[in-house]
Amino acid sequence: MIISSLRPEKELFDVPTLIPKTIDWQFTSYKNLLELTDYPLQFMNSIIVALAVVVITLIISIIIAYVVTRYRVPGKTMIVGSMLYAYMFPPLMLAIPLLSIFATLGLADSLIAVVLAHCTLTIPLGVWMLWGFFKVMPFDLEEAAMVDGCSRAGAFFRVVLPLSLPGVITVSIFSFLLSWTDYVFAFVLVSSDLNKTLPVGLASLIGSFDARWGELMAGATLIAIPLFLMFVFLGRYFIKGLAAGAIKG
Amino acid sequence: MQGFRTSSDKVLKWAFIASVSVVLLLILLPVLHAIQLSFYHSESFVSNKSWVGLGNYARILNEMIFWKALSVGLIFGCLTIILQVCLGIAFALFLDRNFPGLPIIRGLVILPYLLPTVVVALAFQWMLDGTLGLLTIWSEQLGLGRPSWFENPYLAMTVVIVASVWTWTPFVTVSFLAALQTIPKSLYESAKVDGAGMWSRFWHVTIPMLLPMLMVIILLRSIWMFNKFDIIWLLTKGGPSSATEHLPILAYRRAFLQYDVGGGAAVATLSFLLLSLLILVYFYYYPLEEKESSH
Repeated sequence: MIISSLRPEKELFDVPTLIPKTIDWQFTSYKNLLELTDYPLQFMNSIIVALAVVVITLIISIIIAYVVTRYRVPGKTMIVGSMLYAYMFPPLMLAIPLLSIFATLGLADSLIAVVLAHCTLTIPLGVWMLWGFFKVMPFDLEEAAMVDGCSRAGAFFRVVLPLSLPGVITVSIFSFLLSWTDYVFAFVLVSSDLNKTLPVGLASLIGSFDARWGELMAGATLIAIPLFLMFVFLGRYFIKGLAAGAIKG
Repeated sequence: MQGFRTSSDKVLKWAFIASVSVVLLLILLPVLHAIQLSFYHSESFVSNKSWVGLGNYARILNEMIFWKALSVGLIFGCLTIILQVCLGIAFALFLDRNFPGLPIIRGLVILPYLLPTVVVALAFQWMLDGTLGLLTIWSEQLGLGRPSWFENPYLAMTVVIVASVWTWTPFVTVSFLAALQTIPKSLYESAKVDGAGMWSRFWHVTIPMLLPMLMVIILLRSIWMFNKFDIIWLLTKGGPSSATEHLPILAYRRAFLQYDVGGGAAVATLSFLLLSLLILVYFYYYPLEEKESSH
């Protein structure tokens, strides 16, 4: 894929080989992609959506997971169980009614709709994973901090959060990943080119660019780059999250 | 464990209630709304609805296409799961040893899983392109002619299955690999002393030890494979002539392309019910309480 994006167009249509004979150092495919399509805009859309999803997911899932593990909450097993249940829902089952709801609210075809839709996947995941992390953290540590004069908030930010940082990072990564790679929700909820996220934008290029494989492969490479970077720098969290069986896919 | 006492506890309590309500709104509301939609007839999401009761369900269940989609889903789901699990275990066993460069290889193994489905679909379409695709040309050189991958129902199904297995096998590999590390080496050694060969060590030590987690993997994979929409949609759109159309695609086509929102919602609700059965099986075998104490 990366190879194809670097090939000169002429060679793309010759008999294909696995290794290109020459590399197009002009990056023509990339230039075309960035100058002639909505790709840069959709790249920004994807980044905005993914970051918003990560922030919302972290706030809500930290609160729920923390309270559920630290306080007596009636029906807490049910809350956590329903999170796991929700996390296994068919995405399309949520997407169809969500579109109907957003259409009524006048939010259809907007980035907000996509963010909220992605949160239906990421919040259950976040609560589920952080629940595991907060649960095993000894309460004594916080209590000691509070006895020493920390407020509960202080104890949380100075003791609990630093200790559960790996969990928080893992949740952020997987929320980002889910949002960045999601096709189903964005595809159903967004119709105008200006609000498309990358995966949907790229998929719709297939139709509009007839056999422009060079550009398509350039686009595919660019989508994958943030993931490769994250993987290189934060790889161990990926493995940890996967081992915890923690991703929908 | 404590009650909500101090003022900061009160703030937290309200933050908690607000968060839970947001989640309920985001998740429960759509599900209820889907069920509600399935009792109405409407042509689009903004047009008027008319109550038809169970009419949508009766109509759907009487259509051949529903049963065809169900069986396509079962074939796709079962084949992909069997292949993923077998290949995943094979890779995990292969990687569960020491040789140079292993961490890099272990890392690379999960990459297909991280790629966006769109990218996977594009790569497969490119390789299978009718005139320029690498695989098309290879098959021509092998004297098999130029297969029209997406027009032959069996080939299309094969392509969809291969692409899915390629993408989701790493999940099985990584989970199984992590579990393999938990088996005490002494078990293998004593089996070896008792004269057990490679195969019998695998069948009598590895498999029984990992059976519980294998069940979790298979259940989770089934739940997600029966839900897969994007990979099939991007590769074949359910075609040729609904040869690869399973329930999610049927629901989508109903609701969005055939102006039958109620029908689409009914299909979605039915597949949701079928899936809930699987999820209940999961909860039956892995109750949350047990997970709580195992930590």
